[in-house]
Amino acid sequence: MEVFQTLQRLHMTIFSQSVSPCGKFLAAGNNYGQIAVFSLSAALSSEAKEESKKPVVTFQAHDGPVYSMVSTDRHLLSAGDGEVKAWLWAEILKKGCKELWRRQPPYRTSLEVPEINALLLVPKENSLILAGGDCQLHAMDLETGAFTRALRGHTDYIHCLALRERSPEVLSGGEDGAVRLWDLRTAKEVQTIEVYKHEECSRPHNGRWIGCLATDSDWMVCGGGPALTLWHLRSSTPTTIFPMRAPQKHVTFYQDLILSAGQGRCVNQWQLSGELKAQVPGSSPGLLSLSLNQQPAAPECKVGPARGCGDPGRPVACG
Amino acid sequence: MVRRRQSICRRLWSFGDVASLVCCRDSVRTICPQNICSLRAHMEGKYYSEEAEVDLRDPGRDYELYKYTCQELQRLMAEIQDLKSRGGKDVAVEIEDRRIQSCVHFMTLKKLNRLAHIRLKKGRDQTHEAKQKVDAYHLQLQNLLYEVMHLQKEITKCLEFKSKHEEIDLVSLEEFYKEAPPDISKAEVTMGDPHQQTLARLDWELEQRKRLAEKYRECLSNKEKILKEIEVKKEYLSSLQPRLNSIMQASLPVQEYLFMPFDQAHKQYETARHLPPPLYVLFVQATAYGQACDKTLSVAIEGSVDEAKALFKPPEDSQDDESDSDAEEEQTTKRRRPTLGVQLDDKRKEMLKRHPLSVMLDLKCKDDSVLHLTFYYLMNLNIMTVKAKVTTATELITPISAGDLLSPDSVLSCLYPGDHGKKTPNPANQYQFDKVGILTLRDYVLDLGHPYLWVQKLGGLHFPKEQPQHTVIADHSLSASHMETTMKLLKTRVQSRLALHKQFASLEHGIVPVTSDCQYLFPAKVVSRLVKWVTIAHEDYMELHFTKDIVEAGLAGDTNLYYMALVERGTAKLQAAVVLNPGYSSIPPIFQLCLNWKGEKTNSNDDNIRAMESEVNVCYKELCGPRPSHQLLTNQLQRLCVLLDVYLETESHDDSVEGPKEFPQEKMCLRLFRGPSRMKPFKYNHPQGFFSHR
Repeated sequence: MEVFQTLQRLHMTIFSQSVSPCGKFLAAGNNYGQIAVFSLSAALSSEAKEESKKPVVTFQAHDGPVYSMVSTDRHLLSAGDGEVKAWLWAEILKKGCKELWRRQPPYRTSLEVPEINALLLVPKENSLILAGGDCQLHAMDLETGAFTRALRGHTDYIHCLALRERSPEVLSGGEDGAVRLWDLRTAKEVQTIEVYKHEECSRPHNGRWIGCLATDSDWMVCGGGPALTLWHLRSSTPTTIFPMRAPQKHVTFYQDLILSAGQGRCVNQWQLSGELKAQVPGSSPGLLSLSLNQQPAAPECKVGPARGCGDPGRPVACG
Repeated sequence: MVRRRQSICRRLWSFGDVASLVCCRDSVRTICPQNICSLRAHMEGKYYSEEAEVDLRDPGRDYELYKYTCQELQRLMAEIQDLKSRGGKDVAVEIEDRRIQSCVHFMTLKKLNRLAHIRLKKGRDQTHEAKQKVDAYHLQLQNLLYEVMHLQKEITKCLEFKSKHEEIDLVSLEEFYKEAPPDISKAEVTMGDPHQQTLARLDWELEQRKRLAEKYRECLSNKEKILKEIEVKKEYLSSLQPRLNSIMQASLPVQEYLFMPFDQAHKQYETARHLPPPLYVLFVQATAYGQACDKTLSVAIEGSVDEAKALFKPPEDSQDDESDSDAEEEQTTKRRRPTLGVQLDDKRKEMLKRHPLSVMLDLKCKDDSVLHLTFYYLMNLNIMTVKAKVTTATELITPISAGDLLSPDSVLSCLYPGDHGKKTPNPANQYQFDKVGILTLRDYVLDLGHPYLWVQKLGGLHFPKEQPQHTVIADHSLSASHMETTMKLLKTRVQSRLALHKQFASLEHGIVPVTSDCQYLFPAKVVSRLVKWVTIAHEDYMELHFTKDIVEAGLAGDTNLYYMALVERGTAKLQAAVVLNPGYSSIPPIFQLCLNWKGEKTNSNDDNIRAMESEVNVCYKELCGPRPSHQLLTNQLQRLCVLLDVYLETESHDDSVEGPKEFPQEKMCLRLFRGPSRMKPFKYNHPQGFFSHR
């Protein structure tokens, strides 16, 4: 009934989002396991009405929450409770869309199905890296669907992944407070940074968990329980600490800025020196994910904040 | 005949009397024929000599003699005259001579005259005689003719005479011969002789008639007897009526004992005739429903029947009233305002007037509590209203927070979603209100009762939305289709309110009453305690800083009830603001949380608080418990306590602070945190007893 639906909407959390390859649509996944597709062109156009801000299509994708989503040039990959599913972007807009395939990485424990918190595409190898509740990174070949490697090392579940393109290396940050670097070819842990051990950035009252990671090959920015910090990777030293009290849930490099979002309404734009350049307010009280629309067709950079209240906020244009 | 002869005689006498008188001066004339004979005899006695001569002389010659004599006389007279005129002496002798001759002539004339007279008389007599004869014959003829005629008449009469026997429809001949006994029918005689036959038939007829007359008398006497019997029985029956009445009276206690109140029902139907149509529809449908489906429903009619009858006065009376009030109005406009206000007040009262009769429905619930509904009909507004009252089997001690739960004003609010009963459902009433300055019915509902939409539907009144219609008639089918649903909803409502009532009493004492069949939802040990449970006002709820989401989503209207609960454990205090929808328990209560422990955490700054709210608000279906799910609120409160326990115990230890954790972890959890938002394990798994994530 109406009350129930309103309550559901009030308690909806959007965990992940992904922009379509053409740049016109935005897919968002929520805690009920649904994926909703929005038309960015309609919602952001000057004649946008209330109706155009509603999803074009919504479907039940997973049984549990959809924690992460990523898009290839033809597929949308979504992952939540233990599985990763693939959907065709071309098919998604039609009603009754079915997944293309679903895969489950080999888990050790059977008591509880671990969640998949992060998906990472490695375009050179055409593989997908999954990481989540079972503290391992799994690499899956997108061509064959087989799981090639499992990288172990974290002592607690993994929150986020980042790709260092040049090497290629994968960075992972987890609940145990460490950022680990893995070499994909050798499948070994190369470097470990225990952020909480560094006094400048650690914030014990928040915990030691690393919620977000972003890397720019030489540099890495991470945040979460400890403060948002910019690290120089080779020397493993923190260079800049961003004065943000609230734990950040997502961070990304953009042009010469660092964008971060977390608890609090705003998307923060930081200079590399640590100064706050701008704060762009959103509609929901907390933000969990940001995504950049890289397509040249959209001149503005579209950043989608995600949390609660049913609408994934208004995509915020900042340029 | 004798008279005719007399008249003939008279006539003879009248014509011939002069001549006869002259001739027979001294004869006595009489009129009867006998007298004519006597006259003749007299004539024979005194007999003129001329009479004998008459027969001998010839009348012709006498006539000639007469003419001669007259001529001689004339001559003589002329000679005399001549002589007299000549004069002289011898004249006298000649004159004398002539005179003597003329005297002789005179004598002749006289004789002739007598002869003539006698002839005449004779002739007359003869004529008379002949005439008399003719007359006699004529008379005879006449008499005979008359007799003939008379006889002919008699004959025709006789011929025409219809004997009565011909009027009688006799049985046909065949039948007669068949049926009549031989001594009457006498076939051998009657066959040949029609007269005898007819006689026989008449005899038979007579016989039959006698028999039938006999039968008739018998039947009459039978009838008399039967009539008498009928009389007796009638008296008996009429004496029975008062006895039956007394038996009915005596049987009333038995009826009550056996729960078959026929008498009462009959009286009710009598009274129901005076109900206005919507109340009548309601009465009929409710009685029917009660008899067919639901024995716990009882229907009664209250109010004054006489007043109801008085309402049906002819319209002239009401017009008179109007004109009276107009006259009053004219008078009072000269006065000051207070009376105008009073007048308006009267008009308002008139507009809001209720029909004197009302229908009372009593719904008995399983636990012996009764919902009393009294339905009124507002005549001028054409809507029905209801007043509700809940009585329980045992006296209820009302906990402070439960004050509004069973109040008559709000117990039936929003029985159907959105039906708050503060506005009149009849759009036409707005125009009526404007006339008398009533803004809304809301001000009068306490007195008049609530005009809920379901009440109108039960009375068969269907008001189309937003379009005034002058005549809305009461429709039975509308009432019937809504009756069952509404009754069920009413019962559910009362029972859920009573359940809440009891629960509130317990909650106010800090005990969350969880029934045994809901224990499986919660772990055995719950440390957090409910310390406070109070009602708060709607405005206060809107002012709270952590309820903004609910208010913005439009879920906090003024028909809801608002409460504040406080759960504590150690130094942690959790405030929960509760919105209780009147449609509890089909519509779940909504909780908004604010935790005060190491800072203030609400759903805007702590995802786990949000998760806790979600556990209670969104996942309420697990907490409903067995039907009719009255345990929802208490289960939600208990879950809240469990969630607080989990939250506090799974809070990661702050390494920088010295000392042990305030709340050691006692709950069994597989993992403490999960997912990007680092959720705590709030889901309780039964019967293993561990906590996991959703």
